[in-house]
Amino acid sequence: MNLFHKLSNWLRLKRQEANVLCVGLDNSGKSTIINQLKPSSAQTQDIVPTIGFCVEKFSTSSLTFTVFDMSGQGRYRSLWEHYYRDAHAIIFVIDSGDKVRIVVAKEELDMLLHHSDVKHRRIPILFFANKSDLQDSLSSVKVSQMMGLDNIKNKPWHICASNALTGEGLQEGVDWLQDQIRSLKS
Amino acid sequence: MSGSENKDINEVNSKWLDAHYDPVANLYTFSSCVALADLNGDGESKLVVGDLGSGASNMKLKVFKGTSLMTENTLLDLPTGLVAFHMDQNEPRTPAIAVASGPFIYVYKNLRPYFKFTLPPLEVNELEQEVWSQAREDKIDPMSLKEMLEGIRNKAQVPLSVRSLKFLMLEHQDMESFVNMHKQQPIRRQTVITCIGTLKKNMADEDAVSCLVIGTENMEIYVLDPEAFTILSKISLPSTPAFMDVTGQFDVEFRITVACRNGNIYILRRDSKKPKYCIELSSHAVGLVRVNKNIVVGCTQETLHGCTQKGKKLWTTYLPASIVTMGLMDHKSRGFQAVLVGLANSEVHMYRDKNLVNIIKTQDVITSICFGKYGREDGSLIMTTKGGGLIIKILKRTAVFDEKDTTPGPPVAQSVKLNVPKKTKLYVDQTMRERENAVAMHRAFQMDLYRLRLTAARAYVKALESNLTPMSSSASEPLKMNAVVQGLGPSFKLTLNIQNTSVCRPSMNLAISFWYDEKLYSLKTSFFKIPLLVPGLNYPIDTFVECLSDKGISDVIKVFVLQIGRSNPLLTAHINMPVSEGMALC
Repeated sequence: MNLFHKLSNWLRLKRQEANVLCVGLDNSGKSTIINQLKPSSAQTQDIVPTIGFCVEKFSTSSLTFTVFDMSGQGRYRSLWEHYYRDAHAIIFVIDSGDKVRIVVAKEELDMLLHHSDVKHRRIPILFFANKSDLQDSLSSVKVSQMMGLDNIKNKPWHICASNALTGEGLQEGVDWLQDQIRSLKS
Repeated sequence: MSGSENKDINEVNSKWLDAHYDPVANLYTFSSCVALADLNGDGESKLVVGDLGSGASNMKLKVFKGTSLMTENTLLDLPTGLVAFHMDQNEPRTPAIAVASGPFIYVYKNLRPYFKFTLPPLEVNELEQEVWSQAREDKIDPMSLKEMLEGIRNKAQVPLSVRSLKFLMLEHQDMESFVNMHKQQPIRRQTVITCIGTLKKNMADEDAVSCLVIGTENMEIYVLDPEAFTILSKISLPSTPAFMDVTGQFDVEFRITVACRNGNIYILRRDSKKPKYCIELSSHAVGLVRVNKNIVVGCTQETLHGCTQKGKKLWTTYLPASIVTMGLMDHKSRGFQAVLVGLANSEVHMYRDKNLVNIIKTQDVITSICFGKYGREDGSLIMTTKGGGLIIKILKRTAVFDEKDTTPGPPVAQSVKLNVPKKTKLYVDQTMRERENAVAMHRAFQMDLYRLRLTAARAYVKALESNLTPMSSSASEPLKMNAVVQGLGPSFKLTLNIQNTSVCRPSMNLAISFWYDEKLYSLKTSFFKIPLLVPGLNYPIDTFVECLSDKGISDVIKVFVLQIGRSNPLLTAHINMPVSEGMALC
């Protein structure tokens, strides 16, 4: 049995599983991104503000992702930290059209990075500078500068501009995340 | 002192996030002309500002979304107040904007002009009307018109109209043209709006229909119907209102608190045509805020007073600078209310009751303050500066304001309970034993103490008798010696200071000898003679010691002062040599 297990792993017959935590401020598009990543048969039309959190699953060529889609509303943000321990990767969604609240996103990110369950782990973080279709949206470079992402030294991170409504930029980010998780697991 | 101040500033900064600062936003306004409202019904609050422009031109109604200006409408006159209110039950529930300016209220819906309300004209002085009608028929010349108007101004009960007052101000040559220009129009006397507020009609909901409440220059307060803009209620005041706060529901019970220009605060209630309570302030009010059921008023004397809604004064706080503006911080989701006071020293102080809970340092003097939901963020603080800047700060999610005052008082540590361990059985037994056998224990202790003293005294006497001390006890040769070791090793310099302590007898025939472990140390000369010692003088005698061991051990070197012809040393010194640290040199 064990041998078969190893063999199937080696042949990548069975997909590996990864727990991913999806966080970000309210109205940044977390649920929309997760919805877009699901197979088209499982997608929903209406996205409503998430209460508490939702667990979603989707798979790529080699990994099965279990995503904890956290609510971004102020009163639910205190829930995030309870899921840091079991997460293999973090997706942080930023509304690149909301310039005023970039500081709030930065504050939440800093709190995340300084949390004892995250601080010393080499956990990959994927940033989506979402809503890139908006006219006055910030570029991913500008977002990473305003968020101070250059200061993250001990974790692999990647930022990509995305448009969750059309799915633009999402695949690039998920591919990066998949490579990171596989390189960490092997 | 400065260190603690710096710490305070850091602590202040830790409560707020600096979301945006535009020093040249070109916004010149006061707290009464700023409102936050979800104008489009999309869940995002916008900032609505009645911009005073330069004071004479460029008056605008501006709407900000995020960091940028969304729309602007030109205003005809200086705005004195701006409120957002729901005027009907229509869906979606988008509020209308009412801008008070001169004698008019301009109502905007969807940022388009919707309605203009004009204050009812006032009664005109009959004599004045008579005089102007004569002027219209050219019966009197401008000079006699002026004389007659001056006569009316001095005597009449009803004051003159603005037109007549303007005419009286004119120079002689301008009068004729002024009369010709204005004489055809009938005389009207109108008052202007000084402050504006909103009052829920009959429901307490956040988005319930509200009436407008306006205070006017002629010392009256009107409550307007939200849809028809008819005057529902009219209340007279003893003075002109300057600041107003309204609470309650028009159809149920309401309370209007007005700070007037005569330095008094009047509290009006439903069904009373006259003020119910009056608070007489020691100086003029510069701001009025209601926190829960209490009124907080800022005065020109750099003071902040707290009063109950029945007019009883609760507390007074003294401020470091004069007040420029005041605002309420009402964080509904946390149930936190505080008063924000913008001071002339570019600070915003946050008071909870009389306690200063937070200080925000700003880049410029703040002229308007507004706290509420901006965009999607509940805890946003919007401020505009004297120089036309716009500052947006966001309250941190983790920020907690201490209940306690930040001003000095007994430290918190004083009230912390110490964790004293419980009494064990052993402890109790010991205590019992001590209590019962106190006398015996005391005696035993005293006996041991005497024995110890006796042993110590015997050892001392023995040391004296065998001259083991660095003090000579013999009457014939009173000497004193101390030794100093210098150096890190392996070479040490040993300095012996010898002093003859007798009054007038010199010491002679003395010699010094050393005793030491020859495996460890070597001395150049281990025996030498001392010259004659004159009483009172200090004789330093140097010698060099070489440490031979590299094992980091040290020993005692004994120094004996001897008198030639005597076998006992006069005195002895034990020198504890330091460990040689310079072993590499060996």
